[in-house]
Amino acid sequence: MMQLIGGEMSVWSDLVGDPAADPAFLPLLAATTGRTLVAGPHAPQLIDALPAAEITLLVRGVPDAELLTARHASRPGVTVCCGSLEKLTDFPAYDTVVALDGLDRLLTTEAPSLTWDETLTLLLSFLAPQARLLLRLENLFGLHRLLAVPGAPTDTEWSAAGEGDPSRPTGPDALRTRLAAAGLTVVRDYAAYPGALLGGEVLADPALHGFLAATLNLPPARLLADPSRLITGALHHGLADDLAPAWIFLTGPGPTGPAAVLADPGSSGPAAVLADPGSSGPAAVLADPGPTGPAAVLADPGSSGPAAVLADPGSSGPAAVLADPGPTGPAAVLAGSGPSGPAASAGADTPAVPAEPAAESAAASRPGRVGWVDEIRRDGAGRWARGEGVPIPSGRTLDDLLISACQRRATPEVRGLLTAWQDSPAAGVPAAQVVVDADGNHHALAPAGNPVEALRRLAASMIDGGYAHLWPSPADEASLTALLAGMTGRELDPRDVPPGPRAGVETVRELTMARDRLERELADARATHEFYERQIAYRDHELKRLRQLNAVLSATVPGKAANTLVGGLKAGRRAVRAVVRRTRG
Amino acid sequence: MFPATRRTRGVCFGDVGWGVHHANHYYGHSHVLARYCGLDDTDPPRLQGYLQHGWNIGDGLAPDHEYAPGVPSFLWSERTRRRAWSLGRRQGYVVGAPFAYLLTMEPLSDSDQREGTIWYPFHGWEGQHVVGDHDGLMAEIREVEDGPVTVCLYWQEFRSAKLRRRYESAGFRVICHGYRGGWWKDLDPGFLYRQLAELRRHQRVASNRLCSAVFYGALAGCEPAVYGDPMHLENEKAAFGGQARILREWAELHGPRPDPATARRIATDELGADRLLTPAELRRLLGWPMPTSVADAELTGVLTR
Repeated sequence: MMQLIGGEMSVWSDLVGDPAADPAFLPLLAATTGRTLVAGPHAPQLIDALPAAEITLLVRGVPDAELLTARHASRPGVTVCCGSLEKLTDFPAYDTVVALDGLDRLLTTEAPSLTWDETLTLLLSFLAPQARLLLRLENLFGLHRLLAVPGAPTDTEWSAAGEGDPSRPTGPDALRTRLAAAGLTVVRDYAAYPGALLGGEVLADPALHGFLAATLNLPPARLLADPSRLITGALHHGLADDLAPAWIFLTGPGPTGPAAVLADPGSSGPAAVLADPGSSGPAAVLADPGPTGPAAVLADPGSSGPAAVLADPGSSGPAAVLADPGPTGPAAVLAGSGPSGPAASAGADTPAVPAEPAAESAAASRPGRVGWVDEIRRDGAGRWARGEGVPIPSGRTLDDLLISACQRRATPEVRGLLTAWQDSPAAGVPAAQVVVDADGNHHALAPAGNPVEALRRLAASMIDGGYAHLWPSPADEASLTALLAGMTGRELDPRDVPPGPRAGVETVRELTMARDRLERELADARATHEFYERQIAYRDHELKRLRQLNAVLSATVPGKAANTLVGGLKAGRRAVRAVVRRTRG
Repeated sequence: MFPATRRTRGVCFGDVGWGVHHANHYYGHSHVLARYCGLDDTDPPRLQGYLQHGWNIGDGLAPDHEYAPGVPSFLWSERTRRRAWSLGRRQGYVVGAPFAYLLTMEPLSDSDQREGTIWYPFHGWEGQHVVGDHDGLMAEIREVEDGPVTVCLYWQEFRSAKLRRRYESAGFRVICHGYRGGWWKDLDPGFLYRQLAELRRHQRVASNRLCSAVFYGALAGCEPAVYGDPMHLENEKAAFGGQARILREWAELHGPRPDPATARRIATDELGADRLLTPAELRRLLGWPMPTSVADAELTGVLTR
């Protein structure tokens, strides 16, 4: 059932772009109860996870409302409201309000300009006493913003409050205080990275830093710098919460939620939730490029991310297929189709309707595991475990240990780390996906491939990270790979190193470093060229001198005698050979 | 016409020939490394960089060494690399001293019969002359050393029959490890082997200045000592702080009886003996080819010829 409540935007879609869709939200949603309001764009698969019998969905674009109506037509109790939040007046208070897209897409162009705080007040007015709130707050000082390259204003920014809104909380503490003032108690808050919700206890445990560094990332995009190094640094410096792209707040009463939630990076099943390029996680709904067009195929623009294939809305196959994200990217990091915007521009004349709900995502009710999303909690022995008790390795990533040792120029340690890695079953696993525990055991977080390829990736990572100067130049990828192999005592010819794929996403910092390095190498190569030119000139000179000397010596009596002798010997040798040939013939 | 740079030592961007720098082949260093790498040690390949050839308190190479940009220096110790970096030499890579590689191939043995002291009087290098009181030094050696003393002279001093006789008449055995080679001529692949063989025969190693030989001896199991008139070179310039800085920085190694354990630890650091490369890594760094057969290469060891 769809209702136009007023203020609706007739040619607009938020679902086409980057609605709240992170699969990590699934366990939180599955634990909600009672009448539920879902305010703002949320992926249908998230809505599927809500157990409530009575659900109100509020979106502001008519195409989105139509899409959701069609999508949930078979589910009784779902009401789709299209319009602006302040127009949502004819509904009784809710037991649960879900605002995992935040508060920035609840008001339309037709609505009065409310501040963030006024919008929150409005949203809270829909809460029944003792109701539960799930709220997302984007971190305007998060890594995704710090690393963003400047872009042109988009259609969504008809009113970009953001930093200009003094009423907006600047961090978790401020929001907690604000909610407390409204009578709400935050029972759990998370730092939200794509595919991961991390509670304070998890972030505070240094033993998990390696695992988290290997797991967390930002979606592939044109950025100022490679986010993985910054995430590793943020974890080490206790800033992973402060720099998270967003925070999720869960208010009581009710269960406090898991310590952390992770989308399974190894999942390759027909999970239906697709990651988006924004900070909020996977995009769930993509408009079909045309009413009769083929299935949309989204390829990850980056080399390390997964590819997503969206089925044609008319097909009966799975709504979406998420490829295995590969060893370096969490499953939840996946390219979407871009920012939200006018529906027409996204070709959404005929909104895509996923053919069938991805029930797998929420249907599983095994403890600690919802679909392909793992909850993280401590086991009976106090160790961290994910899902159904799979232990989480403690320690740092091999990549982190190696770079740290390289920076200290602790070459024996580097050799030891490399050798132990290449002697272990994890030899083919990229160093960034190997956690080394206190006993030196290697825990692979990704499937093993070719060890040479893993070494090449490490070499590329060292060069991209600005550590090429640690080795004599030119330390190109193949040469450095061979040298790293040599550090383990292995023989490897640079020509046998398979070429690596070009990075699909280039970051400004790495590009600048590459330019500077190549400039330096070119200057060195020119100097070396000059050096060899001098060598050749000198040798030419020596050759000329020796030939002149030979000519002079040949003209002397002993020289002539020697020439006569040598000539005679040569004639004799020729004669002997001729005789031998004739004899054999 | 290109002026061929000919100097008695150091040098240079204008250097030419077998290897980037002729000093790479001093003392048979490149020969030892070739053997370690499983290559023919009678004819070491061209070495793509500058190999440190003596213990050094500067950037690892001779004070008048000139550098071609982009050509790496292969240094003995991490301390030297750090110092070189601070002096603007960024292309430094620690490989350790060739002598330390030799020791891995010719390991020490408990059955080594050690006796007395091998003494290395401070010497000048080609074209340099030492000024000092040899008689006074001999008297000091006699006073300190209990056992037999072997005096090892640099080839320049060794050629002086007069000087040799002075030490011999004082009751010392006088030897010379050989000519270090120069300008790719008269290279002596056996130099380090002879030095190691002598060090293994002695209980102590000593000199009147801290130098490579003292560190070699300490690494080769001798108790090191540095004492006596340090003498000086004619027109000696105190590069990088000179002898005074050596006394300050490496004070523990000076005196007739320094602590052998401390000395060994310092020698290990200074010779990079704790951070030697694998043959595969060393070959990659030096730009050397892979051995066609390591077993064959073993047969070409200098000593077996």
